[in-house]
Amino acid sequence: MASVHESLYFNPMMTNGVVHANVFGVKDWVTPYKITVLMLLDEMTISTSITLLDRRRLNKLILPLLQSPDMTLSELIKTVEDSCPQLAYTVYLRLQLMADGELKDMEHFFDMLPSPFNETESEAHKTSVVGLFMRHMVLAYNKLSFSQVYKLYTALQQYYQSYERKDSPAAEPAEDTDMELTNTEELGGKMEKEELDLTPSDDEVSTRGPLSQKQAEYFLAQQAYLLKNDENKALDPASLQKELNNMLKFNPDFAEAHYLSYLNSMRVQDIFNSTDSLLHYFDRLILPGGDSKSNGDEGCGRSLRYAALNLAALHCRFGHYQQAELALQEAIRIAQESNDHVCLQHCLSWLYLLEQMKGSDSTLTEHAVKMAVHFCLPYLASLGIQSLVQQGAVGGKTANKLMDALKDTDLLHWKHSLSELIDISIAQKTAIWRMYGKSTMALQQAQMLLSMNSLEPVNLGVQQNNSEAFDVALCHLSELHAEQGLFAAASEILKHLRERFPPHSQHAKLWMLCDQKIQFDRAMNDGKYHMADSLVVGIAALSKTEGLYRKALVLKARNQTTEAYKVLQRLLLYCEKIKGTEMTIRVMLSLAELHWSSSCHAVALPLLLRSLAVSREYHLQYLASECILHLAFSQLMLGIPEQALNILHMAIEPILAHGALLDKGRAMLLVAKCQIVTASSEPSKQQKTQALEVAVQNLEEAGTYFTKVDCKERVRDIYYLQARLYHSLGKTAERNKCAMLFRQLNQELPSQGVPLITRL
Amino acid sequence: MAALSSQFGDLVEIKKQLTVIIALCRERGLMHSVKWASELAFALDPLPLNELPPPPPFTEEDAQDLDAYSLAKSFFDLKEYDRAAYFLRGCRSQKAYFLYMYSRYLSGEKKKDDETVDSLGPLEKGQVKNESLRELRVELSKKHKARELDGFGLYLYGVVLRKLDLLKEAIDVFVEATHCLPLHWGAWLELCNLVENKEMLKSMSFPDTWMKDFFLAHIYTEMQMIEEALQKYQSLINVGFSKSTYIISQIAVAYHNIRDIDKALSMFNELREQDPYRIENMDTFSNLLYVRTMKPELSYLAHNLCDIDKYRVETCCVIGNYYSLRSQHEKAALYFQRALKLNPRCLGAWTLMGHEYMEMKNTSAAIQAYRHAIEVNKRDYRAWYGLGQTYEILKMPFYCLYYYRRAHQLRPNDSRMLVALGECYEKLNQLVEATKCYWRAYSVGDVERMALVKLAKLHEQLNESDQAAQCYVIYIKEIFECGELMEQVELSTAFRYLGQYYFKNKQYDDASICAQRCCNYNDAREEGKSLLRQISQVRGQGETSSSDLSLPFIFGPLSAKNTPVRRMSPLNLSSVTP
Repeated sequence: MASVHESLYFNPMMTNGVVHANVFGVKDWVTPYKITVLMLLDEMTISTSITLLDRRRLNKLILPLLQSPDMTLSELIKTVEDSCPQLAYTVYLRLQLMADGELKDMEHFFDMLPSPFNETESEAHKTSVVGLFMRHMVLAYNKLSFSQVYKLYTALQQYYQSYERKDSPAAEPAEDTDMELTNTEELGGKMEKEELDLTPSDDEVSTRGPLSQKQAEYFLAQQAYLLKNDENKALDPASLQKELNNMLKFNPDFAEAHYLSYLNSMRVQDIFNSTDSLLHYFDRLILPGGDSKSNGDEGCGRSLRYAALNLAALHCRFGHYQQAELALQEAIRIAQESNDHVCLQHCLSWLYLLEQMKGSDSTLTEHAVKMAVHFCLPYLASLGIQSLVQQGAVGGKTANKLMDALKDTDLLHWKHSLSELIDISIAQKTAIWRMYGKSTMALQQAQMLLSMNSLEPVNLGVQQNNSEAFDVALCHLSELHAEQGLFAAASEILKHLRERFPPHSQHAKLWMLCDQKIQFDRAMNDGKYHMADSLVVGIAALSKTEGLYRKALVLKARNQTTEAYKVLQRLLLYCEKIKGTEMTIRVMLSLAELHWSSSCHAVALPLLLRSLAVSREYHLQYLASECILHLAFSQLMLGIPEQALNILHMAIEPILAHGALLDKGRAMLLVAKCQIVTASSEPSKQQKTQALEVAVQNLEEAGTYFTKVDCKERVRDIYYLQARLYHSLGKTAERNKCAMLFRQLNQELPSQGVPLITRL
Repeated sequence: MAALSSQFGDLVEIKKQLTVIIALCRERGLMHSVKWASELAFALDPLPLNELPPPPPFTEEDAQDLDAYSLAKSFFDLKEYDRAAYFLRGCRSQKAYFLYMYSRYLSGEKKKDDETVDSLGPLEKGQVKNESLRELRVELSKKHKARELDGFGLYLYGVVLRKLDLLKEAIDVFVEATHCLPLHWGAWLELCNLVENKEMLKSMSFPDTWMKDFFLAHIYTEMQMIEEALQKYQSLINVGFSKSTYIISQIAVAYHNIRDIDKALSMFNELREQDPYRIENMDTFSNLLYVRTMKPELSYLAHNLCDIDKYRVETCCVIGNYYSLRSQHEKAALYFQRALKLNPRCLGAWTLMGHEYMEMKNTSAAIQAYRHAIEVNKRDYRAWYGLGQTYEILKMPFYCLYYYRRAHQLRPNDSRMLVALGECYEKLNQLVEATKCYWRAYSVGDVERMALVKLAKLHEQLNESDQAAQCYVIYIKEIFECGELMEQVELSTAFRYLGQYYFKNKQYDDASICAQRCCNYNDAREEGKSLLRQISQVRGQGETSSSDLSLPFIFGPLSAKNTPVRRMSPLNLSSVTP
């Protein structure tokens, strides 16, 4: 009875209390599956009747067979059959002979096995993958003790018999329910056989047997790679965790599995499990550091530093900046004590990241870059430069300097093949161009990133494409398309994003925000304020400032001027505090618009001038044009249309070249309005008519822009203006047509709050 | 209590029941239950001849199986399980059937243990399982459905289920077993291992017998509900089991768990007197001796146990502790390793080995040992605490926070974890958090009496002089109440601070009392004297100018109104004589 309740906690890996640093000391061992693979290899060398094509297919099959976890016989035979049915049958026959025979047959097999490989003309060289595998197997087999050999043989028989049972048509359907109580009528002997055959329920990986070290390592490497590059292709979090737990149950010392479990928990934002796994990993890792870990300097301390650093990273990922800072300080202190500059450098990069989160200046980053260059850490150096560029761009550094810096880092990237950073750099360029308002350049950069082949070797049929850079580029692309009224294309891109970055993944927030913004803009254009209002909540959840801004826009559109004004004022203060230049300008423009709606055009002017100055200071060309547009409108309303037209010339060009359709339409409408007003002061009638006709044309153009983005209200306004103009030009037919169109639209739309005259 | 005594009213009846169950268990080879019941029976008065219970009824089937049974039993006793099962295969009687199944089960277990040694690959070891479990389960479940299982059969069925990790089913079957045969301690013990928390315990229904009290007391001890457990055991003793070594050992363990060292030690000494050759629980005893640094006693115990049986886990642990106390840490680690060799599931040894490695400054080995301990039992707070300490030694205060937190989670009312947490926060310069930890440590009953001083110092740092003074006052009061005057350094700092504090607050009488106290300590003497001088100076000046202000203080020295003590009764320092 002692053993009864004590073995509740029994862990077989701790037999004899010996502390196994790495139980995988034995790299590989013989299993029935591997014997079958050996047979397959043997047959391939012996048999001469295989056609060249079949042989090529078989050769391609070998590596996956060697690396994959053990398959059942039926799976294996099916795989081989796909390449060469005839060979599969011979292998099956040989296995049958061995399994139905006696122990001697297996011993004989291993005795005979090395012979074809000793010869010099053998197909498998002894250092080749296959040769190594065979030698491993022979060695492992020779090491087995008597009882182990016998056990192997019985395992082989069971392996074969499980296939036979499955294969025979009379196989009972309830076979894999041997856990259930229902088939109690089965006899004991049969039960025993059945419980050992690992019922492979098609994709259920965890029912497979334990993995050897190589298989386990391969599995971990594969999953880690997939997690990094294309999360969707990796196992889903739950089953991956199951698999890892399984692996850890058999070998709790396999530290790498803990690390993967940490990564996996991060996927589902599980802070508790991820911390646990991370610390466990480092607890395990610290151990082998004592003896010969690859680099000479005391491995123990080394892993300690990185343990603290990783903990900082973890907290940072979860947004616990204070915790992250504490952990980072610890890492820095330990690294300093042991003079580990490389680690310090990593710490420094995290430090400036953290500082950036808090919105401090870039001196730390500059310093970090210098140090990184000094210690020859190109990755960290260019990462630093990139974040410097980002800061610079937001901080209003001139474009040529930024582009220069990016070009320099690009040189570095190509030299060291840092494909990840190349992606980031291109995405950054996209973002910068977009910020400056050069949509064509942004479009071009985004397309370049998407159509570029990754430098990294394409592994497992996966290109590295789920990085943040791709997400950013794709989001920009969809926004750019939406701006041009290509909503179908935009939503197509978003659909793709949704597939590539499923909602639980790390970078999903970017496209979610982008998606909602596009929807919001469409709803606003369409005059569906209630819809826009419902979207505001979603936007606010993803980005607070953006949410507030959009909220103000809705309020403004609904003529709730006071509330809108309050929100905007608050936002303005906040943006100035966090130095969000773009948003500040937008907010000031919206404020100016609010002033218009209360007919205080003169009050709006200083605001507009200020925003113009700011946007020029930060080289935000597109926003500057927007400011000019607003200024011109104010001037128009103040009764100086000539002046308005004058400054409009500055804005109209960039807007027509790079602007969104809506803005183009607005610009043209404004031009037309100014022309109409100036026309009235033209001395001669002919000139007046000419001017008016030009205005009509411009209105026409604006109308087409507005129709493209479904901006019905504005289209209605255009029709109205056109009808009036045609009337004064005396073109009755056109006038009537426009009037009719206006009437149609007017019936469709609810009565408008903001009169058309008082808005841009 | 009334209900209890009524149940236990008839000790003679209990004794009879015990005698019967001993015979039954012995017939079935359940030696641990026999041992437990016999120990208990021994504690009761012997029965007169005419009171002795008759032997269990002998059925026709029993008679038929008698020869096969005796043969198989002899094989079973010699650990030849397969052979025993072979000769029992056709038997019909319940007794023989149980022995048949039980030997099959044990044979599977034995083979499993053997096979872990030579399996095909290291990872396959995890796959090794008791092959016969499933067969046993199928057969037993058939019988269970047909309601043919007796109490022992149910017990075995439960064990098989638990081994197959079907814990829910196992619990149900064990509960059924206790209803069917309440006297069998083994089934109760299995339940102790399976029931995880109080809620689970409450939701179960048990037979209403005197065994239930033993079970509840045992499980309370397991769940660290020490108060309840002690109460139960005390009432059991009152009822008439005062001589039971089992109860004494359990009480001792319970006292050990709540760190009541003196009581635990006296219980263990009593136990040793009554049962000098006992080895069980002696490792706990040695832990206590170690904590109290009672070298001669520990040495005596170690030698004694070594004489009795040196190849027992407990013996090895005791010897390990002994070496550890003598600061021969290598040897200590060696003995803990030996304990683990004898029983790799021995949780305590892993943790203790971790402590030894810590002493030897071999942090990586220590970490590994602790990790092993956690793997064996995730709820081992000492291992978590040890890990925390290791990282603290490696100067990673933030890193070790996590481990201390885990330990604290497991022992929310243990001040040591809280003090450790507080220290970490202090190192991280998160003083507010640290004060919270220290205050909590004080409130749950500080073992080391350091929390208050640390708290006071923190308040000093935070410039919260009122709170700091308050903490010092409580601290001084506690120290004097205990009558221990070991920590003079801290006392002197306390008095020094209080003196200055009262001086600043113009409570000159209190200040001068404190200053006088300061003079009793070497390191604070000078300051005390200078403070006294200052006080007398100020008094000389202030007598005329500020006599109104200081009037109440002069008349009411250290009264509750003007000392900063908010939650405390008035502190009368003058009655305290060091």
